[in-house]
Amino acid sequence: MDDYRLRQRKQIFGVYWGNFGLPLIFVILVAVFSITNPNFATSYNILNNLSFASYVGIAAIGMTFVIMTGNFDISIGSMLALVAVLGSSFAPKIGGVAGVISTLLISCFLGFINGIFVTKLRIPAFITTLGMLFVFRALAFIYTNNAPVYISDRFWLYLGNGKLFGIVPFPVLLMGICYVIAYLLLRKSPVGRYIIAVGTNSKAAALSGINVDNIKILVFTLLGLFVGISAVVNSANLGSANPGLMGQNYEFQVITAVVLGGTALSGGNGSLGGALVAALIITFLDNGLGLLQVNSYWQQVATGLVMIFAVSLNKLKFYLLGQGEF
Amino acid sequence: MVKFLKLYEKIGIFILIVLAGIFLAIASPNFLKTDTILNIITQGTYGVIVSFGMVLAITSGGFDLSVDALVGLTSVFLSVLIPDIGIPGAIIVSLIISAFVGFLNGVIITKFGVNPLITTLSMATIVRGASLLIADGKQIPISVARFTVIGTGKLLGIPNPIWIMLVLFIIFYLLLYQSSLGRHISAVGSNENAARISGLNVTFVKIMVYVLVSLTASINGVIRTSQAMIGIPSMAPGFTLTVITITILGGTSLAGGRGNLIGAVFAGIFISMIYYGLNLVKVQYFYQLLSVGLVLLFALFVDGLRKRYLEAAKIKGIKV
Repeated sequence: MDDYRLRQRKQIFGVYWGNFGLPLIFVILVAVFSITNPNFATSYNILNNLSFASYVGIAAIGMTFVIMTGNFDISIGSMLALVAVLGSSFAPKIGGVAGVISTLLISCFLGFINGIFVTKLRIPAFITTLGMLFVFRALAFIYTNNAPVYISDRFWLYLGNGKLFGIVPFPVLLMGICYVIAYLLLRKSPVGRYIIAVGTNSKAAALSGINVDNIKILVFTLLGLFVGISAVVNSANLGSANPGLMGQNYEFQVITAVVLGGTALSGGNGSLGGALVAALIITFLDNGLGLLQVNSYWQQVATGLVMIFAVSLNKLKFYLLGQGEF
Repeated sequence: MVKFLKLYEKIGIFILIVLAGIFLAIASPNFLKTDTILNIITQGTYGVIVSFGMVLAITSGGFDLSVDALVGLTSVFLSVLIPDIGIPGAIIVSLIISAFVGFLNGVIITKFGVNPLITTLSMATIVRGASLLIADGKQIPISVARFTVIGTGKLLGIPNPIWIMLVLFIIFYLLLYQSSLGRHISAVGSNENAARISGLNVTFVKIMVYVLVSLTASINGVIRTSQAMIGIPSMAPGFTLTVITITILGGTSLAGGRGNLIGAVFAGIFISMIYYGLNLVKVQYFYQLLSVGLVLLFALFVDGLRKRYLEAAKIKGIKV
């Protein structure tokens, strides 16, 4: 009987942790930074941070889907750079709107190729995307001859720097729209249920008539789309698209956000809200440490530690919920 | 088709080398000279040495993405330590530190149950950050001239890196194919649960594998640093890709359980020939990145095709 009660208590704690642990960390983080640094809690800095958070946050949606199907994509940093230099160099010739659309189409296509490799050739996703990581980056270098592409198109710049009613930064709005659409897709449409089914047990999903390959290709393509949106916003923020500097360590931040958000690396169900809060945590942590003038090399060490910590924490949650061993 | 794929698995890499050799011999009058060929093989040894460790890692069903960061870490430690404790001491300390990083990888993977990819990717970030911290973001020149012998000296007319590779090849060959540890590594890679149930200490085997990978990466760091005579915290960016390409092109199965060391040696030489060819046409280094990425995708493509045909053949009842 004691054993049963202990297990129940563990489960209750696990549920609470799963629902409120991450927001709690976020609140504590913001409180600590606000106290230690007067420049942190200004509305200007907070809005800016929210705007920066879209960089990781938008792609984290796609990555959540991909990880939910039990895969990975580590090529997104290079993909971001490649589509940004391609799209921004097209923009002056074909106009801003067409430039943005072409960026999104190209990034969808690159994600689609990743998906084809993973499903039709049955190559593990991380190694396919490892190869693609270098191919995309090399193509970005070759296309631009290692020179940044400066962006002057007004529509393009507005997507990254514009403000709705002069207050809400456009990237924040864009991120909100993306999350709402992704939520509807995941929770209210059959596609979302198929994704969860494929991630939980792909054999059972295949036997019950779901086309597993198509679902996987779809999630990689969706990730491509979100990376494309991120590429436009990020390059607009920076005012240029740099083939070498854009998207460095990007895959790392995004995967950390998704894992910290509570999506299990083994696939199955995932949490979009968790990914969003985790993306905020990562961005605010970066900014806060920067304001405290912490050495950037220490920050690099810290991000690696946070990643390992996040995965271990996740394991602990699933252990408490009785869904796995620690 | 099955026969063809089986044959390709055995001699595919030799065919690629011969084709590349014929092409280079036509394209460049300097290619068929002893110096050039020795040079190409020496360039190839960098990747090959680390791919010995990577063969073990992939055979055990794991993966290590932290090797390029360890090359940088070794380089920094050598440049910091050589003035204080001499060359042998500095090398030993660097190797021990790298082995310790590998040990940490192994512990995190086995004890915390974190995915190897995530663990080693995080470790790569941490190690890179630590190297930059130690070196304060700068490059540190090494002034002890004798140190250069390791990477640039020759014994019996053959450059030292090739000797180091041969010695390591013999050690790893004995380890993988003749020792009990090697059999255990293959067993863990083929079926981890079965290995555990039959009483193998899976934790120990895996930790050993990651220690060995880190050691090979560190040895590579020693050779490179001795050639450059400078400690560079960001040494060898993108090197992990080369190592994994060599390992897979060499015929080590991604599914685990089957390692191929000889294939890795020739795959390394093949990659080095591609670099040589690219240097002939004087393209920038991103084309090297591109070519290695494409070769990797090609090798994966063949690996995937092979798997599909073997599966299909099994269903049809053809003996493979």
